[in-house]
Amino acid sequence: MKVVLAIYNFLVGDMIILIGVVITLLVLALIFTLPFLVPVQAFAGYLLIIAVLLVLGMTLSREVRGR
Amino acid sequence: MEWAVATAAFLASTVEFVEAFTIVLVVGVTINWRSALTGTLAAVAALAVIVAIFGTALVQYVPIDVLRMVVGIILILFGLKWLKKAILRYSGWKALHDEEAIFEETMADLRARGETITPRLHPFAIALSFKSVLLEGLEVAFIVITFGSNAASVGNTRIAGITSATAGALVAGLLVILAGILVRSPLKRVPENTLKFIVGIMLTSFGTFWTIEGFNGSWPLSDAFIPVLIVIYLLASFAFVSWLKTLKRNQQSAVRPQAALATETDEVHS
Repeated sequence: MKVVLAIYNFLVGDMIILIGVVITLLVLALIFTLPFLVPVQAFAGYLLIIAVLLVLGMTLSREVRGR
Repeated sequence: MEWAVATAAFLASTVEFVEAFTIVLVVGVTINWRSALTGTLAAVAALAVIVAIFGTALVQYVPIDVLRMVVGIILILFGLKWLKKAILRYSGWKALHDEEAIFEETMADLRARGETITPRLHPFAIALSFKSVLLEGLEVAFIVITFGSNAASVGNTRIAGITSATAGALVAGLLVILAGILVRSPLKRVPENTLKFIVGIMLTSFGTFWTIEGFNGSWPLSDAFIPVLIVIYLLASFAFVSWLKTLKRNQQSAVRPQAALATETDEVHS
């Protein structure tokens, strides 16, 4: 458990960033796997950019609210 | 030479080496330089072994598509962590890293332990400088391996990426040591937060690019879209800094009238 915690703290250390990125990846995996979502693949990059910025905004907002 | 990789590794390494240098300096000044340098060299050797083993293993055995996706995701996580800290520091929500304060604090700790200048190799001093260089250097090693193994452009081998990243890190290390020898005090003038901000932007941009490529997706303009990503994240980060600064100002102006009211009430009651 300590090893997992150490890796988590080394890599990210922030649950909002971790969960946000994991959810985004699941959505991307669906987009690139399901046949009926093929038309969306062209916009996957833009979706990822928006998701990354949303995650950043959410974690910053949480930090500010906590102080 | 992969210049983007070398630059990212150089900037990230500068930040981490400045932080490690502060502790090595304390050990050198408080106990002795032999122990401080022995610990440092041992940590550098350990880091070189880590980069050589993991870097070679990744390049040799992991297919490029898998590597791009995994490294892309890790770089997004890592980049967001750096970017968040830098934005909070720029906007005044988090204190700037103060090397001089860390220097004084560590020196006080060592003196409280009863450590004094001694000519012999000192196990605690070696361990302290080893630990600080290894811990700070691990982030650098991680960036060198992930960034370097993934970044080889057309015509270059993947080892070229790691070599470029290592070169960037080595130059940063040498510059920090040189500056330290010249200044002989904590390197407080190095703009650590700005470097952290730039590295955060670069890691997030490359991470975003490679994640989509790892899924076998494509970007408009291909590799030329990376600068566009950098600009997007840069503008968004400036917007976040501006938003957080406004929140900070609002919070301070809301606190001031309350404090003044509390003082007036106290005066009336007394």
